[in-house]
Amino acid sequence: MPDSPQSGERAAKQRFAARIPGDAIAGAAVLAFCFAAYLVTLTFREAPAAIAQNVQPATFPRMVLAVMAVLAGVIIFQSFRTADKKRKPLKPMVWFSALVMPGFVIAFYLLGILPAMTLLCLGLPVLWGERRFAIIVPYSIVFPVAIYLLFAVVLKVHFEPSPLAFWR
Amino acid sequence: METFLNAAAQFTDPFMLFVILAGTVGGVMVGAMPGLSSTMATALLLPFTLTMDPIPAIALLSALYCAGTFGGSITAILVNAPGAPPAAATAFDGYPLAQQGRAGLALGIATVSSTIGGIFSIIVLIVAAPMLARVAYDFGPPEYFALALFGLSMLASISGESAFKNLLGGAFGVLLATIGMDFTTGVDRFTFGFYELTEGVHFIPVMIGLFAGAEFLTQANSLDRVTVRAALEAVKLPRWADFRQTLGTVARSCGIGAFIGVLPAEGGTVAAMIGYNEAKRWSKDKSKFGKGDIRGIAGPETANNAATGAAMVPTLALGIPGSATTAVILAALLVHGLRPGPHLFNETPTLLYGIFIAMLLANLMFMGLGLLGAKLFARVTLIPTRFLWPAVFILACIGSYALNQSIMDVSIMVISGVGGFFLKRYGFSAAPIIMGLILGELVESSLKQSLIIFDHNWLRFFERPIVVVFVVLTVVSMAMPLIGGYRAQLRAKMPPSADVPGD
Repeated sequence: MPDSPQSGERAAKQRFAARIPGDAIAGAAVLAFCFAAYLVTLTFREAPAAIAQNVQPATFPRMVLAVMAVLAGVIIFQSFRTADKKRKPLKPMVWFSALVMPGFVIAFYLLGILPAMTLLCLGLPVLWGERRFAIIVPYSIVFPVAIYLLFAVVLKVHFEPSPLAFWR
Repeated sequence: METFLNAAAQFTDPFMLFVILAGTVGGVMVGAMPGLSSTMATALLLPFTLTMDPIPAIALLSALYCAGTFGGSITAILVNAPGAPPAAATAFDGYPLAQQGRAGLALGIATVSSTIGGIFSIIVLIVAAPMLARVAYDFGPPEYFALALFGLSMLASISGESAFKNLLGGAFGVLLATIGMDFTTGVDRFTFGFYELTEGVHFIPVMIGLFAGAEFLTQANSLDRVTVRAALEAVKLPRWADFRQTLGTVARSCGIGAFIGVLPAEGGTVAAMIGYNEAKRWSKDKSKFGKGDIRGIAGPETANNAATGAAMVPTLALGIPGSATTAVILAALLVHGLRPGPHLFNETPTLLYGIFIAMLLANLMFMGLGLLGAKLFARVTLIPTRFLWPAVFILACIGSYALNQSIMDVSIMVISGVGGFFLKRYGFSAAPIIMGLILGELVESSLKQSLIIFDHNWLRFFERPIVVVFVVLTVVSMAMPLIGGYRAQLRAKMPPSADVPGD
């Protein structure tokens, strides 16, 4: 049975992707980053010559970007001369966990550190497949409280009251 | 000698011994917690020492400094989350060894190496301090620039997929160091309107993110992995044969750590990176590095502890901090009405000897704690991943926050963690980025100052002999892995018969 035009196109794309080594893609991404960062350096204010002493604020970052671009070019060049390393596909849990990370920061900011820690200690083990609630529940209470006492009380780290923590 | 005996007599007081023990235990605990570095702990502890006499106060901070440097290795080995920046390199081989179920061996090597490094640095501090301080004192901006470049060039042979990726990572770290206000012109760079970034990106949140954050995601990708019997093997302590295998590395790292430590602003982190790099460079069989080679633990651990005493040399003798933590100790000296510099040696020699003895005792105490507690520390690996890593992530977040008490630092840690995970996937190591970030400010400031001194004539760098030495070392350190790689490629291309003449 002949392939549909869509599946043929997909196969062609996969063959093309297979020809491009992963390092070449990484190197190209670095080059794109360098270009974008260079554009940002164009927005830096110029300092008066007397203060800058011929070394403007953008000079050094541009030098570093140039070095990075050269190294990225070498990596791209090398990638076509060496065998590409095969990488195992990522499991969906990585993406969920990656979302938990900024989620915790938002909870930290909005709810305060103690509720944020409790939610994480309760939710993350469950997300990762833990079902022993007899351990999860005490863990999600004892650990956050212990950490809070250590930092806030013993080490005097100041935690900002959260905007939503009306009970404080 | 009489001064030394007077100082030693103070340590017969149970209170002094308690202070050293408290500083050591606290240092090991604080050092072991990701994000809670000895720098932050000494800074937090400083206000508590104001009511104390200068000798116990400085002794407490010094003991905390020594033990904190060692303590970082515990979590670096057990959970791949270095408790303190100097332990970053320890994770390269310590963690793989722990994953193989030999955490006890890794901890034992780290403990003994740290103690040897620490005691060596104190001997250097006592005997050769004036001489070493004089060498560092002669360094100007061109020498610092050349030294920093040398440090970055060493990344070419650090653990990772390729020398160019490591160098690129180092350059990226240097670029990260340019974020914030330019210190000579006051112009904001790469701040994108966030006032929190005006003071720049501190390397602690980035380091925690690149190590702990990235590892958190790595763990999420391997939740079905079962670490059977790891705990049973983990309680085995190292044998004499293991220590004998690391003797050469320990001896080299003692020298490296003491030399790097004595240089102003350089500290245990750089010493550990170079110590690791040299351990690998001198090894005949490099294939085990990054996979659990005990020399990869002994190298950085000896070096970072050898840098502790040495970092006190410029702090005490010149009033120039040798590392971030000694900067806090310097502040403590000033708060207690003491004037660091040559006068300190003449006016308050008892205090100086008190510091030496306190550091010596702290080293001996943490050796006992490390060896006796190794089984206890190794049991951390028994904690299920589903409970351990949420806890590590929380510690990483709070550790990042506690530095400046800023949510922005937590966000930087998270961004570094996610970014670090994908960089690692494409063969970019975390260490070069951290190294670049640490050295970045030094590179830029010393380059700018040198250019002003030399009237923008780059050739005048070569008028300075020390600069020439560092430039040569830089070229050699960059060329060696490239030549090594080229030779390996040639060997791979050579037909098997060519290897065995006469066959």
